[in-house]
Amino acid sequence: MTESKSDVLQGTLDLMVLKTLESMGPLHGYGIARRIEQVSANTLSLNQGTIYPALLRLEQRRWVKSEWGISETGRRAKFYSLTRSGRKQIEQEIEDWERIAATMARFLAPSN
Amino acid sequence: MDRIHILLSRFAVLFRSKKLDADLDEELRAHIDLAIEENRRRGMNEAQARAAALRAFGGITQIRESYRVQRGLPWIEEAARDIRYAIRQLRKSPGFALTAILTLALGIGAATSVFSVVNAVLLRPFAFRDPDRLVVMRETVEDKARSERTAIPDNYRHFLRLKKDAATLEGAAIFFQRGMSVSPSGDHPHIVGAVTASLNLFHVLGVQPILGRDFAEGDAKKGADDVVMLSYEGWQSFFDGDAGVIGKTLRIGGQPTTVIGVLPPGVRFPQIVLAPKIAFQEFARDAMLFEPLAPSERDLNADMGNFNYKAIARLKPGVTLAQANAELEALQNAYTLSAHLPFRFGIALTPLAKDVASGVSGALWMLFAAVSAVLLIACVNLANLQLARAVNAERETAVRAALGASRGQLVRSRLTESLVLAFAGGAAGTALAFGGVRLLIALAPANIPRLDEVHVSTVVLLFAAGLSIAAAIAFGMLPALRSLRVAPQAALQAKSTRTANTQESHRTRSMMVAAQVACTVVLLIVTSLALRSFSRLLRQDRGFDVSHVTLAQVDLFSPQYGDSSNTYKTAKLSFTDRALAALGQLPGVQSVALTSVAPLTGETWVDNISRPDHPVPAGQKPRVNVRWINPDYLPTMRSPLVAGRNITDADRANPYVALISERTAREGFPGENPIGRKITDLVPDDKHPITVIGIVADARINGLKDNAAMVYLPYWAYTPWTLSFLVRSSQSSDTLIPEMRRAIWQIDPQVAIPTLKSMDEQVSDSVATDRFQAMLLSGFGAAALFLALLGVYGVLAYSVSLRRQEFGIRIALGSGKSALIGLVLRQAAYPVLLGTVVGLAMALIALRWVRSLLYQTPVMDPLAVGGSVLLLLVAATMAAIVPARRAASTDPMRALRME
Repeated sequence: MTESKSDVLQGTLDLMVLKTLESMGPLHGYGIARRIEQVSANTLSLNQGTIYPALLRLEQRRWVKSEWGISETGRRAKFYSLTRSGRKQIEQEIEDWERIAATMARFLAPSN
Repeated sequence: MDRIHILLSRFAVLFRSKKLDADLDEELRAHIDLAIEENRRRGMNEAQARAAALRAFGGITQIRESYRVQRGLPWIEEAARDIRYAIRQLRKSPGFALTAILTLALGIGAATSVFSVVNAVLLRPFAFRDPDRLVVMRETVEDKARSERTAIPDNYRHFLRLKKDAATLEGAAIFFQRGMSVSPSGDHPHIVGAVTASLNLFHVLGVQPILGRDFAEGDAKKGADDVVMLSYEGWQSFFDGDAGVIGKTLRIGGQPTTVIGVLPPGVRFPQIVLAPKIAFQEFARDAMLFEPLAPSERDLNADMGNFNYKAIARLKPGVTLAQANAELEALQNAYTLSAHLPFRFGIALTPLAKDVASGVSGALWMLFAAVSAVLLIACVNLANLQLARAVNAERETAVRAALGASRGQLVRSRLTESLVLAFAGGAAGTALAFGGVRLLIALAPANIPRLDEVHVSTVVLLFAAGLSIAAAIAFGMLPALRSLRVAPQAALQAKSTRTANTQESHRTRSMMVAAQVACTVVLLIVTSLALRSFSRLLRQDRGFDVSHVTLAQVDLFSPQYGDSSNTYKTAKLSFTDRALAALGQLPGVQSVALTSVAPLTGETWVDNISRPDHPVPAGQKPRVNVRWINPDYLPTMRSPLVAGRNITDADRANPYVALISERTAREGFPGENPIGRKITDLVPDDKHPITVIGIVADARINGLKDNAAMVYLPYWAYTPWTLSFLVRSSQSSDTLIPEMRRAIWQIDPQVAIPTLKSMDEQVSDSVATDRFQAMLLSGFGAAALFLALLGVYGVLAYSVSLRRQEFGIRIALGSGKSALIGLVLRQAAYPVLLGTVVGLAMALIALRWVRSLLYQTPVMDPLAVGGSVLLLLVAATMAAIVPARRAASTDPMRALRME
């Protein structure tokens, strides 16, 4: 399988997507990408396309589900929403992320 | 859980990737459209909006690719790619591919065919309940001559006692097997296998009839109606599977018998020998009739004699064979003592499956080992070829490695090529096996039990598949691993021909040739020993001569010959007289002999001779085979009389005379002249003393492997129910056979003629197992030799082709042709000689196991061993001389220009 050394990065994107879906409800891929860009105040140079493999990964784990719908502008688009296990997973992911972030913070703190 | 979900969704993708691709494209298009719309709202024009949307999205192709990777099973796709690549590579060298596939197909086909026989005869359990717990029970007596215990058939009274007392047995049934004549539609009867058994036989076997009922109390009572149960095959062949068969009658031995039950399909009761030395050449057929056994007065009361039965017992769960054997042995010993029997009887239990296969398992396993060796040699050949190809492809491998192919990918793509070959070879081999099985059944001797169960079953197919994969790994692994060691830089810098000829790969290939040669030496030695043994069997002096003799076996099973009729003795006698006379009238007939047992059918009618003038304890009476003959028997068989006189027609009035064979004279009358001596107890129910009037030269009349101890008595003293007529005639058997049949049925159309064939055929059938063994081994030996030569030739030819330049330089520098030939031959000699030595050492071990399968042939037979080695060396030299000459005829100019 292809979960190799870029795991941390993928995990980050996954958590962003999950969090976005939690706060915004069902959303299409473009909406998710825009939302992530807005929240990160465009500090993240995200290729919007990369969220699609991430969405597929989350779908394969049954954390999100998708169905075709109509966008606010009347365009047919695929909408993603959290599943119950996805909702539960968010807590776990946040915990993991905080642990990593804390570890990283300790490394990066000026040595005293 | 997660992993399973992911895997499932990925698998699902394999089957609908088109639709999913369309979905993804649609989704991505929606994304771009939405982005464009938003950009337009922000005031960009159409073109700007689109450009910005695409820029923000990133590379669509890359996203699509990584999406597909995440979605699908990359390794399956990669495997498909490897397979396509392998097929492309193989199509580039069709000669190699075809050779490989053909070699494999033959190897796998042969191994699978032999395995299907091994599987049906030796491995497949019987269709009885828990067949592992079924054992064959025989009694044993001490054999003074060999100081070991000999297994003998069971005595009814002993059996009853053991069955009552044994705590280790769940049940035991007693029975005997014979041929019975059946005439379903009233025409001439034919002989089928019949089992006459105690009522609990099917209870012990754990078999329920599919129609009608099992035997019940009362079926075996005197005066009860005759009843019979049919095997499924019997039901099909006598009644065409009629569902209303229960209650119908079938004429068995001329007697109307009521059908009470039909056994399930697949339940086949095997032929179980009375005792290990008794062969059933004519009789190895499954039982179709099952009749209840009504023991006679004598069965119930006699502790000695009447050892006429076989017994099958079921061990209690958890009881081992040894425990049961020990308990029964102790019971039997105790009874022998308390009843003051003259012998010390014991018990021998054998697992049913082992007992049934005992005569052939050694030969079959040996054939299986031989065919496996051939397959192994074939695999080594292919490994060698593959190795050469891998070396040739080194540059390509190096390029792939340099371009970033991982080691795993390199190994996999080479191994895939082997797998593709193995798959094609395995498929072709399996197809061949269907024919091979049929061929084996046609060639196989009739005495191989369960032969009719041999077919290409699921187990056999699985075996073939496993074999193909094993073969692929066997011949593909080494070359595949080799590609790991390619150093890209070196390979790319050097010319491919140089890297190829490294010392190391040459040594690997030489070792493989040596291994092939070693296997071939073993196989050749075993084959030549089997051939020597077989030719000795056929060419030794038999003590009789039966060319131009035709055999007709006649069974008198109609009611007028049965012992319930008052006149059965005269009926038998008069039939025999009339048959002898009628056969003598046929054109071209020189003489007609009668004997009670067809020659070469094993030890039967074994009895002990008693001498009133020289009483010995019962255990030491010499054992002899009793035959009932007419005066023309000896002249017809061309068996010489060594002393005394033959039986003559004048003896008819006082038929108590006997001829004995030399061996009987040695064992029964050591140091005495037996002529004129009296012996007793040979004529059933008749105590009249018998005078020995002549001694017949020893003959291998019961089987070509042994001189039997014989006693011949005139048929006037006792006429048996089975008669074998031997007709010596100037006419060929083919013309004689229909006339003999007509002559016999003219006297009585209700007698059965189970055997009617030339005695030459009878002789040949009696050594069918040995012939089968010798024939198959010869085939495998020849195949092994051929493959080994191919190996020697292939490796040498390849190495010569790589060293063209070197040879060119040598010639240019003045090297002579013979020196070059010598150089190449020496290169070949090393692995061949090494292989021969190793092979001889391996043969030493293997032969210990083969010894028991040979007839009077020492395993270190110098002709066989020396001949095999010589054959191999000569053939290997011939295989090596072709490339050697090619090396010597290298044109130096052309070779040098190649640089």
